[in-house]
Amino acid sequence: MNLAPEILFTVAGFPVTNTIVTTVITDLIIVSLVLVFRFTMSLYPKMFQNIMESVVEYFYDSTKDIAGSRVSFIYPWVLTFFIFIFIANIIGLFPGFESIRFHPLGNLSEEGVPLLRTATSDLNLTAAFAITSIVMTHFYAVKYTGVKSYIGRFISFQMFPIFLFVGLLEFIGEFTKIISLAFRLFGNILAGEVVLGTMSSMMAFGVPIPFMMLEVMVALIQAIVFAMLTMAFMNILTEKH
Amino acid sequence: MEIFNLLGLEPKLFIAQIVNFIILFFILKLFLYKPVLQMLEERNKKIKQGLDDAENAKKVLLDAGNEKVNILKDAKVNADKILENTKTSAELLKQKTSEDAKKQAVDIVDNAKKLAKDEFDKANRQVGEISVDLSKKIVSKILSEIFTEEEKNAVLAKAVDKIERGGYEKTTN
Repeated sequence: MNLAPEILFTVAGFPVTNTIVTTVITDLIIVSLVLVFRFTMSLYPKMFQNIMESVVEYFYDSTKDIAGSRVSFIYPWVLTFFIFIFIANIIGLFPGFESIRFHPLGNLSEEGVPLLRTATSDLNLTAAFAITSIVMTHFYAVKYTGVKSYIGRFISFQMFPIFLFVGLLEFIGEFTKIISLAFRLFGNILAGEVVLGTMSSMMAFGVPIPFMMLEVMVALIQAIVFAMLTMAFMNILTEKH
Repeated sequence: MEIFNLLGLEPKLFIAQIVNFIILFFILKLFLYKPVLQMLEERNKKIKQGLDDAENAKKVLLDAGNEKVNILKDAKVNADKILENTKTSAELLKQKTSEDAKKQAVDIVDNAKKLAKDEFDKANRQVGEISVDLSKKIVSKILSEIFTEEEKNAVLAKAVDKIERGGYEKTTN
């Protein structure tokens, strides 16, 4: 398996990769679920509505416990990250991923490339999510703490040069946040796919099952980790000091 | 750059993923987060309202129970009072009725006695008159055989007078 997603075809110069296909499928699943929820929603919930409400309420309450009144703008980001990453991770475990092959034009003689690949095993997606998370964190930091306070977090001449150095570390830390968020998710999901692929190639029946169960947990844990780290970063940077 | 190519980082894909995520964020915010929170809030309000209503109903029920007990207590007191008054009234009525009856009986007896006395006097007087008349007739018959008409009248008048006086004296005695 390559680190880079495989390009299936191009549309007006835009490379459509197998992870883009999976991203669109994930989007469709999420939007379908949300629309079904929206139009079947009632004051007396049934099973599906209970699940959706429980997820939303859990993240809302968790964010409120940590961020207090700033919950209103933090939790939608946290929850969107969670929902997308979790569903993308889970559908990557479905049959057909990796096994359904696609022959890009002009390469009919080759083995072909997987038509579907877990969206979160593409660094483009994880880096995009990480950048979005950090950019929005800084946007809210400026909006809710003010420009002066925001800059003061990175440049301070108190106890010169100690706080200036601390500010520099903080500044570098913001970039490491992006890298850690992006590569943690990318690495975990890609490694899971590699492990599953290896196990399936060794013994197709039975052997991959424990690893698939492990991957279900990884899918959930990675989604929670990304969402909770976003919540923590947003909470820390939007707090007035 | 080499590492970016190796990892498959492609600016177009990167930007596409960001745009995709932002769109998804707004869709979820509009169709999931807001309605769910509104729904939860509405449900919380209803539950709170329901609990408050239940609490109030419980309180009202408790008050009603207490009021019922008080009303029953008052009713019992009133009933006892009414019963007592009725007994007293009945006793008084009975006493009064008895006294009236006694009085009426005494009056009736008195009237009866008076009437009997009057009747007796009347009868006595009538007997006296009859006996005088009878005596007059007997004496007249006897005297007409012995005395002349003039002597007879004189004796008769005297005898009648004596009889009358004797009868009256007897009656008055």
